[in-house]
Amino acid sequence: MSDFLLTQVINYGAPFLGAVVFFGALGIPFPGTLIVIAVGAFCKQGFLSWHTTGLIAWTCVVLGDCLSYAMGYYAREPVLRRLGGSDKWIKAENLFQHWGGMSVFLTRFLITGMAVPVNLLAGTGNLSFRRFLAYDLSGEAIWIFGYGGLGYLFGTQWETVSTFLNNVSGFLLGIIILAIGIWLALTVLRKNEETKEQVPDI
Amino acid sequence: MTRARQRILILALIATGLLLAGLFGLRSLHAYREFRAHRPPPAFSADSQTVETNVGLIRGWMTIPFIAKMYQVPPAVLYKALGIPSQGNRDKSLKRLNEEYFPKVPKFTETTIQAILLANIEIPTPTFAPMPVP
Repeated sequence: MSDFLLTQVINYGAPFLGAVVFFGALGIPFPGTLIVIAVGAFCKQGFLSWHTTGLIAWTCVVLGDCLSYAMGYYAREPVLRRLGGSDKWIKAENLFQHWGGMSVFLTRFLITGMAVPVNLLAGTGNLSFRRFLAYDLSGEAIWIFGYGGLGYLFGTQWETVSTFLNNVSGFLLGIIILAIGIWLALTVLRKNEETKEQVPDI
Repeated sequence: MTRARQRILILALIATGLLLAGLFGLRSLHAYREFRAHRPPPAFSADSQTVETNVGLIRGWMTIPFIAKMYQVPPAVLYKALGIPSQGNRDKSLKRLNEEYFPKVPKFTETTIQAILLANIEIPTPTFAPMPVP
């Protein structure tokens, strides 16, 4: 898949990159980070102009994110009908109002595998579009210009940078899943102890 | 959710997290060592006109015009070396050209291009300051 995409990027340039990041933002599993870093290297080699390519990619990825936010937003009604009144839903919504912006920002470039679920949650969880857009624009700017910049800096050695960043992203995803697991385990343990304390001694 | 299901979910999350963190942690460490070994080129030589001389960077996804520009070699030289026409082959990757023209010899296009580049590119020879004569 990545080989095919790389060949098409060198054949069709920025518009193709735009399409890749746009559909990637909608959940199609393209190796976006690898392509962005590679394009940075292609810009250095003089195949593409970095400002035009960067701007096209940035615009397209933000459009894709907005569209997946909209999907979450319009799915809100059916979700609310099922879970709306529950305490858990209200708790989750409050939590997302508090941490939503930061999770949108970090999932743009650090834990990119979580970007689409976070977009959908942001739409469903009623994170205001303005806040979403502000965090999205800044996070995606780091992804496109920061990661692309690394590719530009390392030139033909971009594959090394890409491997390193992809592995770090996977590692962080693992740490987050582990942290959620431990947090859930501790919550369950605490609840069990509380229930035991409430049972009167005979 | 029943207690048993809750327990399974928690265990699955912890196991997946540990597995991912361990696997990617080790791979990150390995990649970091490689990353440190590959320092970026000096800023002043980082212009697009620098001629690439390392033919080990040729990959199957590259096209002939891309390689020609990267190594500053006329594309015609590369097409001639492979014995294929340029028309209709400009957008095709080396891998695809290999599948179309040389299906029986794996990686023939890549190896041939590497050999031709080695013969055509001028590798700059280092200049030394003259030794002081006593």
